[in-house]
Amino acid sequence: MESASVPLPHGAGGHAADSHHHGPPEANQSSRIDRQTLGILLFIVSEVMLFGAFFASYFFLRVVVNPTAWPPKPFELPVGVAGMNTAILVSSSFTIHYALEAIRKGNKQGMKLGLVLTWLLGLTFLFVQINEYVHIGFSARLDSFGSIFYSLTGLHGAHVFAGLMLLTFATIRAFRGHFDKDAEKHLGVEVPGIYWHFVDIMWIIVFATVYIL
Amino acid sequence: MTYNEGAVFKWVLIVGIAAATVIGLTLLTRPLVGALWGLVLVIAGSVYGIRWTRDWWRRTRDRPGGPDHTP
Repeated sequence: MESASVPLPHGAGGHAADSHHHGPPEANQSSRIDRQTLGILLFIVSEVMLFGAFFASYFFLRVVVNPTAWPPKPFELPVGVAGMNTAILVSSSFTIHYALEAIRKGNKQGMKLGLVLTWLLGLTFLFVQINEYVHIGFSARLDSFGSIFYSLTGLHGAHVFAGLMLLTFATIRAFRGHFDKDAEKHLGVEVPGIYWHFVDIMWIIVFATVYIL
Repeated sequence: MTYNEGAVFKWVLIVGIAAATVIGLTLLTRPLVGALWGLVLVIAGSVYGIRWTRDWWRRTRDRPGGPDHTP
């Protein structure tokens, strides 16, 4: 291993031992998963728990409190618009997957196309959701239904926004030529891709729960 | 088991198909039926997750670097 890289305390002859090494030794790393992918997977586990808490609130209000009408009359949820939005977001998972498959084969143009399409689809989803909020006719202050509706969909919308930020950086870096076909040279697309798939999965569950059931 | 975007994309497809069955059943019958089917899917997914985690731990603990590994 790197015996020469073991640091000595400041002023204890560290420079004499190794004139090139600075800072602590290299962190231990698994050979089966790189640290960036492990980091995003652990982050997603924590996000699943966050969404789980919101879903628990939703089902508590819907099943245990059991209001007479869900949603309260005369309001109706725009199921058709939300369904179209679901199709848009699911499509964006295919485009980000296409971008990753392209860069794995060394096709940088394909990766750029996939990233730009994903970004545009994500932006469209967010725009349609904001438009839905404007026209839906009730606010989060209406009652428990309004609160949990805006909490769940808003929480997801915030995640889409965060995903869009990650995709923005990935797209800029792609156009600057930062990525290549080797696995460790396109982690900057891989990690946002994993996060984007998570956002997509969560929306499928939110849509089925809030708009359909 | 690989840990990459492709593996997560597979789960997008699995969850998408599962949600499509819940939506289809709800629209064809009643929301309660769809909700119960969704509950069945969630329980099945949880059982799969627990069993996968248990098998993963059995495989991992004896490997080099694992807690039960004896060189």
